[in-house]
Amino acid sequence: MTDVVMIPRPAGHATRCTGGVLVAAVLIFSLIGPLAVPGDPFAQSLMKALSGAEPGAPLGYDHLGRSIFHRLAHALRLSPAIAIAAVLTAGLGGLVLGTWAAARGGWTDRILTTLADALLALPGLLLVLIVLAIVPGTALGFWAGLSLVLWVEFFRLSRAATHEVLASPAVQATRLLGFGPTYVFRTHIWPEIAPMMLTAAAFGTATAIMVIAALGFVHVGMRAPTPELGLMMVELLPYWREAPMALLSPVIATFALLLGLTLLAGSRET
Amino acid sequence: MSLLKAEDITVSQGGTPILHPVSLHLEPGEPLVILGETGSGKSLLAQAIMGTLPRDLTARGRVALGDHLLDAARPGGFRPLWGRQIAVLPQEPWLSLDPLMRAERQVTEAHHLVRGLGAAEAQAQAASDLNHLGLTGAGQRYPHELSGGMAQRVAIAAARAGGARIVIADEPTKGLDAARRDEVADLLLAELARGGGLLVITHDLALARRIGGQMIVLREGRVVEAGATASVMSAPTQAYTRDLIAADPENWAPRKPAAAGLPILTATGLAAERGGTRLFSDLSFDLTEGRILGITGPSGCGKSTLGDVVLGLTGASAGRVEKAAGLTATAFQKLYQDPVAAFPRHQTLGRTLADVARRHGQPETRIDTLMPRLGLAPALLTRRPGAVSGGELQRLALLRLLLVRPKVIFADEPTSRLDPITQKQVIDLLCETATAEGCAIMLVSHDPALVARTADHVLSLGPAAANADVTAPRVVGALQ
Repeated sequence: MTDVVMIPRPAGHATRCTGGVLVAAVLIFSLIGPLAVPGDPFAQSLMKALSGAEPGAPLGYDHLGRSIFHRLAHALRLSPAIAIAAVLTAGLGGLVLGTWAAARGGWTDRILTTLADALLALPGLLLVLIVLAIVPGTALGFWAGLSLVLWVEFFRLSRAATHEVLASPAVQATRLLGFGPTYVFRTHIWPEIAPMMLTAAAFGTATAIMVIAALGFVHVGMRAPTPELGLMMVELLPYWREAPMALLSPVIATFALLLGLTLLAGSRET
Repeated sequence: MSLLKAEDITVSQGGTPILHPVSLHLEPGEPLVILGETGSGKSLLAQAIMGTLPRDLTARGRVALGDHLLDAARPGGFRPLWGRQIAVLPQEPWLSLDPLMRAERQVTEAHHLVRGLGAAEAQAQAASDLNHLGLTGAGQRYPHELSGGMAQRVAIAAARAGGARIVIADEPTKGLDAARRDEVADLLLAELARGGGLLVITHDLALARRIGGQMIVLREGRVVEAGATASVMSAPTQAYTRDLIAADPENWAPRKPAAAGLPILTATGLAAERGGTRLFSDLSFDLTEGRILGITGPSGCGKSTLGDVVLGLTGASAGRVEKAAGLTATAFQKLYQDPVAAFPRHQTLGRTLADVARRHGQPETRIDTLMPRLGLAPALLTRRPGAVSGGELQRLALLRLLLVRPKVIFADEPTSRLDPITQKQVIDLLCETATAEGCAIMLVSHDPALVARTADHVLSLGPAAANADVTAPRVVGALQ
């Protein structure tokens, strides 16, 4: 018998809930926060540099006297937006190319697999940097570069799963009954790979956010004064002794977001 | 004196009894067969006698093994007897041998470690065991270099090396074709002739008949009938046993030969190969409306490949397949060996059937009219393939094919995973379909008796065909 009884594990359920709550908390903070406490992430007031929390700036001020609360909320909209856009593009591209390669086989499959393997051999950060140098506009560059790095994962997953599904008697039976490729994709392939794709998407989003933050941290990503997680960390690093909370705010927010996404991805049985 | 005596063995799971009191005794030289369908509790009975039940099941009862008295509720007491008093021949023994150890070494190990012979003595004994079983010279081979039958003999030698007088064989013929099944039965009986006890657990009536001795028929954890195998098989007293024995292909009434209808397909001089090996060649046959073509042969002889060629899924390496004019591609359909694997597993069966009906312009009411005809309850349509029994699912698979109004159905071992009674239902429905729908059926089976009583023509494939006991009305196909 090939069917495996899937018993939902209580531990997996708890993990998924924790992950969901963490991600939701971060998103609520970034979307609702600035509405609850209006403010400008770019407004400077040097008199207040590195001073503590007050009603108009619940997380205090940075070294240039800008509200950390509003900068953080802005940053937490920017990175996930780029990451999600890149994951959607990469996921769609990887899915289409992966199923196409598995279904066609032969040269189509060989060329696409070689291309994917070649991209996999390049360091992802380097690839994003190269695209950033070519494409005008930092956000657009990140989107293009991350999509180029991330599609390989989706391609490999969907190609392997489709290959297996297409070889099964169930698909043979469906084809003998006169159904076309669209029906085969909808009833056999998609239900099989959808859970895997969701897992890969959660991991991919975490990776993308990490890449944006890492490049921001080494001053080759987003340009100041754009609020961005990595950039905020490196700007506040020299003042860790005077204003530890100012530095810790972006660190904690990034950590919570990445942990949440990883828990969401890891708790799924694929 | 009895070799083994078990009294009032019961097995329960969390307070719910799943095996009701069973008593049995095993005499030297007289085999005991426990016969039952899947889920009848026959394997649980054996496990209770050996003390190998899964943790969540509890057994009760007394077991007397030679001069040891044991309590079935305390499985720990059985452990010292394993291999020394009581040996188990595992299901599919060729999978239970160590793939990285030579055959003779595996037997030597049991002599050395279980029986406690010295190294040199154990080796000499192992070599003599293998000679005795006709495995001279095979001792230095690895399991993958042995044929299935040879691997089974090595497994028997290893199981017996500890000096056990009682051998318990659990479904020893699972997955074997007719010729290999008889070989295993003879092997078990040969072991018995050396003065041991033999307990065989099976659902295979042919094996039971060949083993003989005493028999216990189990159903849903209760003894239905017990007695000498020969008399139970020839004159069963209980209705269930009668059904079970009547469901054995050996006892089926031969099907009335169908009148030849219009020709659907003519194959001439077909040949096919797989991985460079010629599977069959020069095969010629006709398919006509309402007739059943039986195909037999040992596993790996190209039965499924022949089906793929006829269905147009692969090309033949030689020969022609001519189809009657006006047949669409969907007139050629296949019934699979494992029905669970042939349905989309993420979708309810009702949805799948409705999709097929819509694709072929059939009203959905046709599903509702076919359901009772195939003996299926409407509630099944709300389930997924994994939650339906094999027999029901195979009938649903047949229903799915009927929605297409096929002209040829290639049935690839459609009942090899089903119990005898379910097997008879499915085959009967298949025969009815041939007559009622006027389609040609290619019925593949490793069971020559089943094919002989069902098919209008028989095509035997493969080198072992000469040994197979095919008594069919007519043989149209040429052998390799």
